[in-house]
Amino acid sequence: MLEIKNLHASVDGKEILRGINLTVNAGEVHAIMGPNGAGKSTLSNVLAGRDGYEITQGEVIYKNENLLALEAEERAQRGVFLAFQYPVEIPGVSNIYLLKAALNAVRKYQGLDELDAIDFLTLVRSKMELVKMDEQFLHRSVNEGFSGGEKKRNEILQMALLEPSLAILDETDSGLDIDALKIVSEGVNALRSQQRSIIMITHYQRLLDYIVPDFVHVLSKGQIVKSGDKELAKELEKTGYSWVDEQPEGVSA
Amino acid sequence: MKQLSELATPFASVAEALIAAEGTAPWLKKRRQDALTQFNMFSLPAKKEEDWKYTSLWDFSQQIFNHHTESVEIAADEVDSVALLHDAYRVVIVDGVFSEELSDIDALQSGLCITALSESVDQLEHSLGQQTELTKVGLNALNTMLMSEGVVISVDSAIEIEKTIEIIVINTGNTANLATHLRHKIELETGAKATVIEHYVGLTQDSYFTDVVTEVNLAERAELTHYKLQQESNNAFHIATLAAHLAQASHWLTNNISLGAKLARNDIHSQLLGEQSHVTMDGLYLVDGEQHVDNHTRIDHAVPNTTSDELYKGVLDGNSHAVFNGKVMVHKDAQKTDANQSNRNLLLSRGCEIDSKPEMEIYADDVKCGHGSAIGQLDEDQLFFLRARGLDEVSARSLLTYAFAVDVLTRIPNHTIREALAKVVEQRLPKTGEKE
Repeated sequence: MLEIKNLHASVDGKEILRGINLTVNAGEVHAIMGPNGAGKSTLSNVLAGRDGYEITQGEVIYKNENLLALEAEERAQRGVFLAFQYPVEIPGVSNIYLLKAALNAVRKYQGLDELDAIDFLTLVRSKMELVKMDEQFLHRSVNEGFSGGEKKRNEILQMALLEPSLAILDETDSGLDIDALKIVSEGVNALRSQQRSIIMITHYQRLLDYIVPDFVHVLSKGQIVKSGDKELAKELEKTGYSWVDEQPEGVSA
Repeated sequence: MKQLSELATPFASVAEALIAAEGTAPWLKKRRQDALTQFNMFSLPAKKEEDWKYTSLWDFSQQIFNHHTESVEIAADEVDSVALLHDAYRVVIVDGVFSEELSDIDALQSGLCITALSESVDQLEHSLGQQTELTKVGLNALNTMLMSEGVVISVDSAIEIEKTIEIIVINTGNTANLATHLRHKIELETGAKATVIEHYVGLTQDSYFTDVVTEVNLAERAELTHYKLQQESNNAFHIATLAAHLAQASHWLTNNISLGAKLARNDIHSQLLGEQSHVTMDGLYLVDGEQHVDNHTRIDHAVPNTTSDELYKGVLDGNSHAVFNGKVMVHKDAQKTDANQSNRNLLLSRGCEIDSKPEMEIYADDVKCGHGSAIGQLDEDQLFFLRARGLDEVSARSLLTYAFAVDVLTRIPNHTIREALAKVVEQRLPKTGEKE
């Protein structure tokens, strides 16, 4: 599904990612944990195709294609989905319009016709149940006036509708109370499948109690310094991140 | 450099011919003569005048406009294709001449009267010019000495006109550099209600000149919803004055959508003369290329307990230039005035320019007034979000631009008109994104 090889990326000449190696197979859920400033958000932005990052070395292969050569929208059309840490508000664009435009962009790439209004609404409604969203959210402007939890649920709704092959969840747990965290996690768990890979980027172990990963990686200073299974996350919870900074550079466990 | 008074077009001699024409009522001759005298004295406003600081008429003054219309016939389905609404009382003016065949005003609701100015001007001695003053606005004199066509609408008291009235002013491009001078008059008696659209369309991208003055008079409790949709040729000159008097408890909603013209200038003036009167004065301008649009608005709160709400939004692309000057005047006795004004602009290119000048002059002490002006660009985070959801860059920019403009449209009460205008605006959105 995804293979990241020796990825180096800089912002304004400052190197943030310093040789990331990661292989994600279809159906796997990987958690990437790390302290602030480790490069977690940079990694998700680089994978999603945000401007402003300079790739200085390495490559990313997604479904046998050079992911880094694609525009953000081309990645999305091919099934890469980024759930944003801070979903933006877009006054004047209704949620339903966004969902429809996004779904049609993906369907167009897949060579499918646009859904008609009734089929689309039926589909959206079924997905909204998954994240327990009320239909009124469809007609409100995208994220405008939404609470933190509602914004994150809206992200998962978009994911459910677009059915990506690779979902990158960037700090999806941040700003969520326990009830919202449960709803969001249930939504994500319902979307786990043999065809879909998920990368969860998070600072805290808490999310991993709800979405149990197959693999856990620790990111520090732009490199993956340790990899393991879900027990690694529990260990981190106990010991904190202070130890990772003491690791010698370039060591990948 | 030549002065603006040295006009390439002999407007004055055209006016002299009109004054000399047989059959002109003496009062109208005098009006035209007074206007001509005024025009000869002041000519066109120059940039040194505060109200014309950001808009130059130099290019305009060098144009040789034609005042003689070649007779032209256009097909009814051509009018259908440009009309905003299908179900409306339609009044069509083609190249400055009222067309009875293309208009649809035979079976009017009782209490409504619609006539062409050319057919009814003799009866307008006491109403024409009531809402406009020769001396105040630069080009009213030009319009008064040359006005030759227009639409006169009146509604009897307590009558609510159900159908919208759409005035369609078409330039066919058949006469090169044609100048048309139009005067519309809309008069609503006590408690009357109506919706009127002024719609200006160029069928070609040729140069021409549309000069229009619209006067609105609202009696007590009258309610007028008024739209102006300006879709002139990108080489046309469009200069317009819109002025209204509002009596007690009357309401005026006006929405001015400016999409076309090489140079468009609107002077819009609302005088709140009766208590509890209200004006909503909205506008939207979308310009690109070398277009220039200038909206000068003024709202006078002349008596206590009046309200106004003004929202003007602009989208600028290419090397376009927009000017917004909105003045709200709260007079000495106008206590409990509630006035709100906002001008917001979205700049899509590096070459465009906006001059935004909101002004409030307040001479009463117990009022609630607010105004603001904002200029910004498309939000990069919003743009990335949409692209990360699969929308290509052009569609994403276009969607965000529409989202910016849309709240001017959402304030439109009539669903059919709102949808029709939204469609027009959507079609006019920038189709190409400027990459960094």
